[in-house]
Amino acid sequence: MPRFALQINGQEHTVEVADDTPLLWVLRDHLKLTGTKFGCGIGACGACTVHVDGQSVRSCMMPVSTVQGRKITTIEGLSPDRAHPVQRAWLALQVPQCGYCQSGQIMAAAALLAEKPKPSDADIDAAMADVLCRCGTYQRIRAAVHQAAQLADEER
Amino acid sequence: MFETPIDRRRFFKLTAAGVFGTGLVLAMTWDTAPSKQKSAGKFQPNAWLKIGDDGDIVVYTIESEMGQGPYTLMPMILAEELEAAWEDVRVEHAPLKPVYGDQTTGGSSSIRRGWATLRDAGAAAREMLIAAAAQRWNVPSSECYASNSRVIHKPSGKQLSFGELALAAAALPVPNTVWLKEPDEYRIVGTAVPRLDIPQKLDGRAQYGIDVDLPGLVYATTVHCPVFGGKAKRIDDGRAKAIPGVQKIFTIDNAVAVVANDTWTALKAADALSIEWDEGAHKNLNTEQIRKRLEDAAHNDATVAFQRGDVTRAMQSAKTLQAEYHLAFQAHAAMEPMNCTARIADGRVEVWAPTQSPSAAHDVATKHGLSTLRHYKDKVYRKLEIEADDPVDIHTTLLGGGFGRRLHQDYVAEAVQIAKQIDKPVKLTWSRQQDIQHDFYHPATYHAMEGSVDAKGKPLAWHHRLAGVRKAEAEDLPYAIPHVKIETAPITVNVPTGPWRSVMHHYYAFAKETFFDELARFGKQDPLQLRLELLRNARLRHVLELAADKAGWGKTLAEGHFMGVAAHYSFGTYVAEVVEITLDDKGRIRVPRVVVAIDCGIVINPNIVAAQMESSVAFALPAALKSAITIDKGRAQQSNYLDFPILRLDEMPKVETHIVRSTESPQGIGEPGVPPLAPALANAVFAATNKPVRSLPIGTLAS
Repeated sequence: MPRFALQINGQEHTVEVADDTPLLWVLRDHLKLTGTKFGCGIGACGACTVHVDGQSVRSCMMPVSTVQGRKITTIEGLSPDRAHPVQRAWLALQVPQCGYCQSGQIMAAAALLAEKPKPSDADIDAAMADVLCRCGTYQRIRAAVHQAAQLADEER
Repeated sequence: MFETPIDRRRFFKLTAAGVFGTGLVLAMTWDTAPSKQKSAGKFQPNAWLKIGDDGDIVVYTIESEMGQGPYTLMPMILAEELEAAWEDVRVEHAPLKPVYGDQTTGGSSSIRRGWATLRDAGAAAREMLIAAAAQRWNVPSSECYASNSRVIHKPSGKQLSFGELALAAAALPVPNTVWLKEPDEYRIVGTAVPRLDIPQKLDGRAQYGIDVDLPGLVYATTVHCPVFGGKAKRIDDGRAKAIPGVQKIFTIDNAVAVVANDTWTALKAADALSIEWDEGAHKNLNTEQIRKRLEDAAHNDATVAFQRGDVTRAMQSAKTLQAEYHLAFQAHAAMEPMNCTARIADGRVEVWAPTQSPSAAHDVATKHGLSTLRHYKDKVYRKLEIEADDPVDIHTTLLGGGFGRRLHQDYVAEAVQIAKQIDKPVKLTWSRQQDIQHDFYHPATYHAMEGSVDAKGKPLAWHHRLAGVRKAEAEDLPYAIPHVKIETAPITVNVPTGPWRSVMHHYYAFAKETFFDELARFGKQDPLQLRLELLRNARLRHVLELAADKAGWGKTLAEGHFMGVAAHYSFGTYVAEVVEITLDDKGRIRVPRVVVAIDCGIVINPNIVAAQMESSVAFALPAALKSAITIDKGRAQQSNYLDFPILRLDEMPKVETHIVRSTESPQGIGEPGVPPLAPALANAVFAATNKPVRSLPIGTLAS
């Protein structure tokens, strides 16, 4: 098996896996970073969303060979102590229900805010409509993205 | 305050089983032995509660947390009577022990089942803590009260924390009677305290079944015959076995299992298998055949479920209206695919499962892991003393959605069968394709409706013949219509079905509430006014009025906006919904707003009630609008979220929830928001187009 050196949440990890292994399964099965979730395996649900070089990506569609040397951030590395404005807004508005999709929702929202600090509803639709939630927490997700934008703005 | 006697025997049952090895088990000393058992600084007056001498308060919950809130709601009920400070309360999933009875979460039953027990448990512990403090201060108990995790001596103002009193309280007898609080004294129940399970769901720490890790764990997936119930005849696994990291490929009951070094390798190898299936006798089944059989059954084989008056005669003497409704199969499509982890070693079977029924998982694990039959239910109901030597352990994890799917234990059976063939702990994970194609679907149903109206246009007779795949359930009509006949007929086809959020209420409410609008318009009546006139139940009428009022029913709507309404009683709870829609020139329906009014009796947590209404709308909407499981060549034609689309964020309506204040006993909230949605939507479309909606999903309207 080939070896891959990965930069995840500010730490270097080395794994030996088949080169077509998606980043998702490297994170989950090999590095035990299970906060990133498996949902569909075809990039259609967003449960596996992580950041690669700051961009929101579907880790189930990213072979490990394509992310070497790039900066990877998972839900575990988004902030220490849930301090990211998105996590604080998610807590304040009590967004999660079953919670399974929420790592993906939070990572997608954080990437959106990094790019657009004051997103409109249309921006939120464009960035997050592909991140699915069967519990239907969408109304709170939308409100929490706006609240996170405000929290981040107050800190600037 | 009023005095409610506690059944002393119940407390004996709650405590005598020795639930937690390290805890203080009061009742054992209390009824069977004079000496007191003490250990490790804990006060454990019953199976629901443990208070540490550090003030740590743990409430044990037997309900599976799949988003609907029991990990918060059940502790709230106990903490209320205990007079605990909410910040001190933690929740743990109770172990699977007979003392708790059957551990199955479904039918929106958690609150209804736990309300009395958890109040008694909290109140008894509170009285013991008060008695311990009174003893310490050498004052009468009547001069003391509990508040905010402390006991206070009223005359002197002296205080002791629950933690400081825990061990002393543990040495006292459990009271035979306790005081329960009146609703106007509640300070936790009825408030929007934050959910206990949310912080861990914000940073990846939450452990679902799919996240379980064990030393030496290997990873598996299973492939099932696409035709339900088929079996593998011949397997060519040459290509699959050549993939590095594949450990073993073999058949289990009705699937082919692949075990590998990681999940990706297992999934890849499963795709590389070439399997010849014995598809059985049903390989030509399709949706059309099922529709035809449902129609035949409704018209030829239905038996009477409810009847009053004489429908046949009433139809003959008046203007009649007929309609036929078809509802499609629906998948659950929970975000966490089916999975289970199992380890069989030294004659013990251990299972980690995101299951709605640890009890049923226990029986399945016993059957497949030990090849013996020891039913958990037997342990509970026949009180067999096999606990100490029971070699089967079920660990219930968080569930990434359930919706009824995880009442089935097929994935547990598979994980245990795989573990039996290898000498390592194994985590089974299904692909999404297997999850969608091997569900226990919401059944397809057919409804033949007939109604008549009198000379004034009021409903005179109502005849509903319903046929469903496997099950066909109905209940009496809530409307005062003189002549009513409801008949049901089940048919059996080779498609697995099972409970799906709100079970029969989804299709029954659709037929009932949609045909009500059809019949009202047929008699030139306003659908809302006619409902209010004919509803026999005051609480159902009240939520209908509330929803209509808050929605602005009857007021002028924005250009191109239309409303529909429906009301339904289920799981103890009354819900009415007003759905507002828009239609574009391509016949596409959008739902900008849904107004919900709910009467669920005493509200434990209004924010969780609101969340469940939002969730119910989001669950019911795609089934009404766009998603369906269709059958061709004996198999489900859909396989992932692309062809079985669930609701997306940009389709989510603004959901406004209005909760009726009530002191009636608390009822279900997980499911009752689902049934009114589809008929209210259909009625809005009818209002917009003057054409009734007669099948679900509606899809795009022909323009």
